[in-house]
Amino acid sequence: MNLLSPLDLRHHTARCRVLFGPHETNLGDGRAFSDRHVAYYRARAEGGAGIIVTEEASVHATDWPYERCPDAGLAGPGWAAIAAACRPTGTLVVAALGHSGGQGSSAYSQRELWAPSDEPEVNSREVPKVMEGADIDAVVAGFAQAAATAAGAGLDGVEVNAGQHSLIRQFLSGLTNRRGDGYGTDRVRLAREVLTAVRSALGPDPILGLRLSCDELAPWAGLTPELAADVARELAPLVDYLVVVRGSIFSVAETRPTGHHPEGVNLELAATIRQAVDGAVPVVAQGSIVEADQADEALAAGRCDAVEMTRAQIADPALVAKLRRRETPRPCVLCNQWCRVRDNRNPIVSCIADPRAGHETSDPAEPAGRPPGRDPAAGHPLPRPGLGDSAESGGPLLVVGAGPAGLEAARVAARLGLAVTVWEASPDVGGMARVVARAPGHHRFARLIGWLADDAVAYGVELVTGRSATDDEVAAWPGPVIVATGGRPAPPGFEVAPGAVVLTPEAVLAADDAARAELVPESVVIWDPLGGPIAVGVAEALAWTGRRITVCTPDPIVGTLLSLTGDLPGANVRLQQAGIAIERRVLLRRAAPGTATIEHRFSAERTELEAGAVIDCGHRLPAEGPGPDGGPARAHGPRPVRVGDAVAPRTVGDAIREGRAAALALAPAGRTVAAPAGVGAP
Amino acid sequence: MSAGGRYRYLFSPLRVGSLTLANRIVFSAHLTNYATQSGMPSAQHAAYYEARAAGGAGMIITEEHSVHPTDWPYEKMIHAFRPEVVEGYRRITAAVHRHGVPILAQINHNGGQASSMYTRRPLWAPSPVPDPLFREVPKAVDQHEIDEIVRSYAAVAARCIEGGFDGVELQCSHSSIVRGFLSPATNHRTDGYGGGLVNRARLLHEIVAAVRHALGPAPVLGVRLCGDELIEGGTTIDEAVALAVAIEERGGVDYINTSIGVATASLYMIEASMHVPPGYATFIPSAIRAAVRLPVVGVGRFKDPLQAERALAEGHADLIGVVRGQIADPDFAVKARAGRTEDIRLCLSCNQECVGRMGLNRWLGCIENPDTGREAAPVGPPRPRAAVTLATGAHLTAAAAPDGTPHTTSGTTAPHLVVAGGGPAGLQAAVSGAQRGWRVTLLERQSQLGGQVRLAATVPNRAELGDLVRNLAGEARRRGVDIRLGVKATAERVEMLAPDAVIVATGAHPQRPWWAPPPDGGGERICDVVDVLTGAAHPTGSVVVIDDIGFHHATSVAELLADRGCQVEIVTKSMVVGQDLGITLDMESWWFRASAKGIVQTIDRVAMGYDAGTLTLLHHPTGANETRSPDWVVLAVPPRPADELYLSLAERAPGAEWLLHRIGDCLAPRRAHAAVVEGQRVVDEIARALPPSAPATSSGTLTPGTVSGPARSEIAAGAGR
Repeated sequence: MNLLSPLDLRHHTARCRVLFGPHETNLGDGRAFSDRHVAYYRARAEGGAGIIVTEEASVHATDWPYERCPDAGLAGPGWAAIAAACRPTGTLVVAALGHSGGQGSSAYSQRELWAPSDEPEVNSREVPKVMEGADIDAVVAGFAQAAATAAGAGLDGVEVNAGQHSLIRQFLSGLTNRRGDGYGTDRVRLAREVLTAVRSALGPDPILGLRLSCDELAPWAGLTPELAADVARELAPLVDYLVVVRGSIFSVAETRPTGHHPEGVNLELAATIRQAVDGAVPVVAQGSIVEADQADEALAAGRCDAVEMTRAQIADPALVAKLRRRETPRPCVLCNQWCRVRDNRNPIVSCIADPRAGHETSDPAEPAGRPPGRDPAAGHPLPRPGLGDSAESGGPLLVVGAGPAGLEAARVAARLGLAVTVWEASPDVGGMARVVARAPGHHRFARLIGWLADDAVAYGVELVTGRSATDDEVAAWPGPVIVATGGRPAPPGFEVAPGAVVLTPEAVLAADDAARAELVPESVVIWDPLGGPIAVGVAEALAWTGRRITVCTPDPIVGTLLSLTGDLPGANVRLQQAGIAIERRVLLRRAAPGTATIEHRFSAERTELEAGAVIDCGHRLPAEGPGPDGGPARAHGPRPVRVGDAVAPRTVGDAIREGRAAALALAPAGRTVAAPAGVGAP
Repeated sequence: MSAGGRYRYLFSPLRVGSLTLANRIVFSAHLTNYATQSGMPSAQHAAYYEARAAGGAGMIITEEHSVHPTDWPYEKMIHAFRPEVVEGYRRITAAVHRHGVPILAQINHNGGQASSMYTRRPLWAPSPVPDPLFREVPKAVDQHEIDEIVRSYAAVAARCIEGGFDGVELQCSHSSIVRGFLSPATNHRTDGYGGGLVNRARLLHEIVAAVRHALGPAPVLGVRLCGDELIEGGTTIDEAVALAVAIEERGGVDYINTSIGVATASLYMIEASMHVPPGYATFIPSAIRAAVRLPVVGVGRFKDPLQAERALAEGHADLIGVVRGQIADPDFAVKARAGRTEDIRLCLSCNQECVGRMGLNRWLGCIENPDTGREAAPVGPPRPRAAVTLATGAHLTAAAAPDGTPHTTSGTTAPHLVVAGGGPAGLQAAVSGAQRGWRVTLLERQSQLGGQVRLAATVPNRAELGDLVRNLAGEARRRGVDIRLGVKATAERVEMLAPDAVIVATGAHPQRPWWAPPPDGGGERICDVVDVLTGAAHPTGSVVVIDDIGFHHATSVAELLADRGCQVEIVTKSMVVGQDLGITLDMESWWFRASAKGIVQTIDRVAMGYDAGTLTLLHHPTGANETRSPDWVVLAVPPRPADELYLSLAERAPGAEWLLHRIGDCLAPRRAHAAVVEGQRVVDEIARALPPSAPATSSGTLTPGTVSGPARSEIAAGAGR
């Protein structure tokens, strides 16, 4: 049994054991599935996914947890369109159904939340209505109605959510169910009633899956693996597959953790449950499984029968197809920056490694094409400058800078058939992404950089390190030029007294342990005016080394922007557990030898902190030269195009998107950029 | 009485450019999040503005429209750079013009005060300075891009005229690329657009010239300027005055609008809550008006006509922006003009459902007006619209008589609604029932109406919350609701009233968390926030306030006790004390006051026990235990529904002749808006359920029992898109 072997589910067969799990996308047209949904799922179906579970649809009017949350009552046509687009590729398509209960939102429905008991929701602090008997009946009927709609739309089945954001889990858990009636004395009763009603509505043929939180990480009253094993045993006869997840109201981030958690974080839990159900139902493991090797090992070891690889397939929709071709898929870096979209602003699901994700209807696909010469899996061919039909596009392409923007531009241009040369001033490729990868929890950024560089080289890009570009060289280059030279530190936004030590985060992160011992003194103040991952990453890199560290922020919370990745609570816990001091709502006013002066934003009180050095995690500025936009005309080719941080220092995702767009703009006339062909068939 | 009655300045006409405004009340620009998912104006936009036009506003200025694809900072922004926007413009302008009211479009580019999340393009700004809120480094625009911005303003201005607008306003004040250029804090350029004010204003002057050229001579062009950015190194009043003078000298502009603060840095002073005194920004129009001849608009928590009248009389401004006042009551102007000031549903400046929803990407509503945000799809019966002819300024006509005339004459077949509880939920239900022409009896156990809101309004700086009760109680009385105070509703008493429908709105009871012993079990020095406010408990000395709710409950009582001389520490298990104060823009002023009053704020601690005066706290990130030994512990914790009457009635309901509902905290303890919304909705549900043989009869424009609007969720979806 391996990842690519088929899996029998009821009267259906999944062509492989890779599941694309349900997740928020914000792709909807209001609360209906949209054409963007169809294109998003179609790309994963064509890419070989075994089972696609669509974004969870709410089964009752009392549940509207986020603005674009699909409404099962409006989902029929969308489900039919998704089925029509995906099923012909050989994938199974299953609709996730759910009700968020007390974890929902009253902001859109303008009505009360429903829950088993009046326990306030941990994050919103909203007190729900204690469901009455008729309410429970209405929810059960809603599940059945939605299942009938899904089956009628031509889907292969449905998946009922009793996972982290679910009313059914709230009934299962002692944390949230303190009822005295039959749904409290028998906390599994609602789950049983829902599954029975859903099966009845589906008829005998369609698949019925269950997503079950098997560890709420709150052992004082919550579901533990032991309790969950009993629940799983009881419910197994009612379902055709079981996805093992974890997390609850107190641990929302645990379902899709960042790189701070180990990969395959739930594999042991899945194994426990699989043992408990003893073959009664196939068990799907979930939780930061992003590498095929780990998935295969888990399958081989009998920890699970299938794996959910959701983020891995957001990062590379053709994950399975590439595995079948023995190619390396574009790696998920477990950053959660663009794929975790439970955010009031309704960001569209996407991926920093593949910004086309979620934008399949508007962004061109990556150019297809085979690497020249040989199978890239077997090793990298030597760089072959001048390989492509460069005359068509006005000469060879020079990319200045081999960070994410430059590497992406180079590899996409090479796939278009251009001859590409990359000059990188430093000895290593990767730019700031390589530096960031040295912060705890961010190590997979190095994998992304490696993948970009490998792909570029495999397609014949000439990659030259230790080579900077002058304005004259850029002017003289006989073809197009893309400038991806990144950023530079901005001057400090505080007074720096003579003799004060002010360090940049990149200097601290880039240094190895020995160099850090030289560079970073015993006491440091980390100034974080941005609230992103950098300052927290620097603090964590220095944590547990005996240094006295204070992180200073103008915000009420350290790392506020991490709320988008789900790491905000985790980061704050890790910093405090490491004994790192935090000064909130302050401004850094002055760095002096041995001290830093902060000012409270509201009391205006000034405090002098011990600081052998200040690490300034403020914003960066675009690098200067070579060849800025609007610079002097060049003898050959158009003006240089700037991309990524060289335009404005932002994220890896922005860099990759702009690098790709600049390369695609060089597509020779007549060469259309189309979806990759020939993928997906086993 | 002359037209305008007691407000002779407010209701005197004013010429602004080519327009003559009937009065001085401006419904000034503000975000609504009513745009469609694809950035187009919606039917809700038209209905929303029309309601304020019908209500007598002198001039309406729409929310900002984006002039360029590089500017899309929040999802539901109108994309004026797309030509198809004109269709939506025409719908808005036709609706407003039906009432003889002029309407301008505010056009803008937010520059660096934005996110690239939606555009997927770099931000444009004068210099690569990240915005304090969005924290994204923008691209410094080059001359080519500056020219493109200027051209796009002109093109959009022309499009606005094509769409029927009477002119445009340029937002150069609190979130704009023009502000970015004007402010030394964000403009670090060394070219002709940076340096002295003349250079920093160059973009503004170029845009004004281009827009005026595109508009032609007739349409009105206004410029909105910031008088004080309230940020380090930002624009202050002297420079704002100098800029206004320069704008007037160059010509082309018809009026100056004003504002205070930077939307992404000092928003709490732009949309100030009730904690900031009314008229706090009046110094800005006052100073500018002293230096220019152009009409000047003043804004800043003008919430009643008297206050607006006084600002005009004292010469601080020529026009007054009343935004939240008209969000709460679209008929603000007609009621003022008719001398019915007491009838105006005064804004509370609570910011809970208007301002508080904007940053969360939700449609604009109002805590006390359940129709706000749903004008395009009203849930209740048609609102008895005051029939006002703006041209003549006639007073309310007989058509509006239901507003003031109870029609509970005995012998009619009007259904009888009995409401138990006179908090916001019960009062709104009573008002909505009476609005349908039903006979309504309201029983309130206490001697005063208002429930918990009445108590909450007794703490420092929260008095304006009490206007919610004043407004609702006044409306109930005007509509002839039979209000019986000091009457505890029991099942028997309710049944004796022979109701057709019963609505239970009995609120909530304080409760103790698991770790807190009862008063007779060692917890006599533990009390609820409610006990402090009623005077049932009088904590002294050192006090720990436990904040499990995260809103005004803990912070209000902490302030009250600190003012009484207590040493107060607030403890929360969350990462922030009073977390939701951020949503209503109360957080900054809370911190200023808390710092001054020495209130300690402690986060990340869960109360785990209380024994012999010692409170045990768990620091949950590290697992460390701590103790406190305060003189008192005050609980700001969720109460439990007071559902005894509901349950007792529910037992009788199956065989009864009446319908039974419960609303507000009695259903699930939440905030006042939930109570108000449910008060209205439940009456609609009852109207649909009542047998058609017993319809309400009424006079005037009411058509009770006949409205079967779409489900609320559909309306909300429509409004939100």
